[in-house]
Amino acid sequence: MDSDSVLFLLALGPASAAGLYWMLYRYYRNTDKSHSFERETEIKAQPVTGAGEDAKVNEVRGTQETQIRGNNVGDYRRRVQRT
Amino acid sequence: MVQPTPAPPTGPGSPQDVPPAPGSFPVDPNALPESIRNELQAPDPVAIDTSATELRDGLNHCPKCGSTDIKHRSGSDKLICLFCRHEWLGARVEEEFGLGEGLDDLRGTVIASGAKNIRADAASVRTFKCTGCGAEVVVNTQNAMTARCHWCRHVLGVNEQIDNGAVPDAVLPFHIKKDDAVARIRQFVGKRQMFALKAFKEEFSSENVLGVYLPYMVVDAKASADVAGFGEVETRRYTRGEGKDQKTYYDADVYQLQRHVDFTVDDLTMESSALRGNLDTQSNTNNVINTILPFDTKNAVKWNASYLVGYTSEKRDRDVAHLNPQLEDQLLSIARAQVQSSVRQYGRGVRWEQERIDVHGTRWVAMYLPVWLYSYQEPGSGRGGKGGMLHYIAVNGRTGETMGSVPVQQWKLIAAALTVGTLVEGLALWLVGR
Repeated sequence: MDSDSVLFLLALGPASAAGLYWMLYRYYRNTDKSHSFERETEIKAQPVTGAGEDAKVNEVRGTQETQIRGNNVGDYRRRVQRT
Repeated sequence: MVQPTPAPPTGPGSPQDVPPAPGSFPVDPNALPESIRNELQAPDPVAIDTSATELRDGLNHCPKCGSTDIKHRSGSDKLICLFCRHEWLGARVEEEFGLGEGLDDLRGTVIASGAKNIRADAASVRTFKCTGCGAEVVVNTQNAMTARCHWCRHVLGVNEQIDNGAVPDAVLPFHIKKDDAVARIRQFVGKRQMFALKAFKEEFSSENVLGVYLPYMVVDAKASADVAGFGEVETRRYTRGEGKDQKTYYDADVYQLQRHVDFTVDDLTMESSALRGNLDTQSNTNNVINTILPFDTKNAVKWNASYLVGYTSEKRDRDVAHLNPQLEDQLLSIARAQVQSSVRQYGRGVRWEQERIDVHGTRWVAMYLPVWLYSYQEPGSGRGGKGGMLHYIAVNGRTGETMGSVPVQQWKLIAAALTVGTLVEGLALWLVGR
């Protein structure tokens, strides 16, 4: 067994302890809950426009990152620069 | 006194994070010890979905017989139940003020009379002359809207609009009865027993479940949003190296994206009390009360203090101007959620870098909404020597949606986590030693 997998196995204990604590704490205290107004409010939207103008501007070669850096597509409430 | 708008909370666990989908759980419960799994999988208190057709059609029930065969009695402001002939006041503001219509034509800021700015010098303690006997009766509008004359037992209600923010435009009467609310709270707490603070479990008493009308602003808005950023599509995936040095690499095309969406929002509900609107989960549990939104605000009736007899209320202390930044923030979040489906082809995700909201029109209505509350003051030293955190368990007085914060017995939780961690570590050591 190589040293990487030994380290990984040894880290499992503390990681599962921390994970279980975090999960149960949230289950009791519900600190992550709030009103999902994005889903639970009645919203009538016109069709989204702009998809026809998507333009390729660059290429990434040989990256090890599994997704775009700073991916915030599902993070609706994280504000970015207002224009 | 009007308080300044607090800075939006940030960081993990704050309501700035998009909440998880209902019923979802970060870990597969089957991987956990049986006793913990049983707690997690016990049924939740049932809540009516406000999008349910039974409420969407706007049926209000006769308070006497429960029938919905109700008609406006011509020539009066009363409603009449055609089944039992019972008559009462209660015009739905939706029709009364035309709130459900004209969303596409909203322009500028329309503020209903009950949502007008609070005058800084307006007193919350008001004196009324009893119409029964002429005695003077004091109503503290900070937490009550009715009072009983101690001489003749007449019930006086604050019905006319006063400029201290205490009288809203509309009220949504309680639908869930106290017994029902207590049962839901018991069920909620019953699912969270093993690691709950001992004193919390021992001191639970159904008498401390109180019905309260909390102040909200219900906003209709018409807006346009623009977002701009970059998206990536994977073109190739390959591995290099051998054995333990083997690594996966990706090639991707980067696209520049722009999206525009026009939308209307109907009945977005926001806390109009500075205290309740502060959702910093580090210092309070107000996010619990925020979670039980939304209400079926379409069924709200025109303000009548008689609805508040037997309940307490909290006064509004935030004006439209205070809530505007929060509204824009929420509209931006809604816009970002709306455009998500149009960027699905960018499999490696999208990084939005700029966003813009143009609010064309808003309509603000102040409402009292019904909440059953159980509160528990956690002992101990909190920030600023004010004792431990105040934990709430809240039940939506219309839909029965229940959410709460149960104080945990830290040593128990840590012991459980360490036990599981030690078992896993033992297994890992055995594997390493093999």
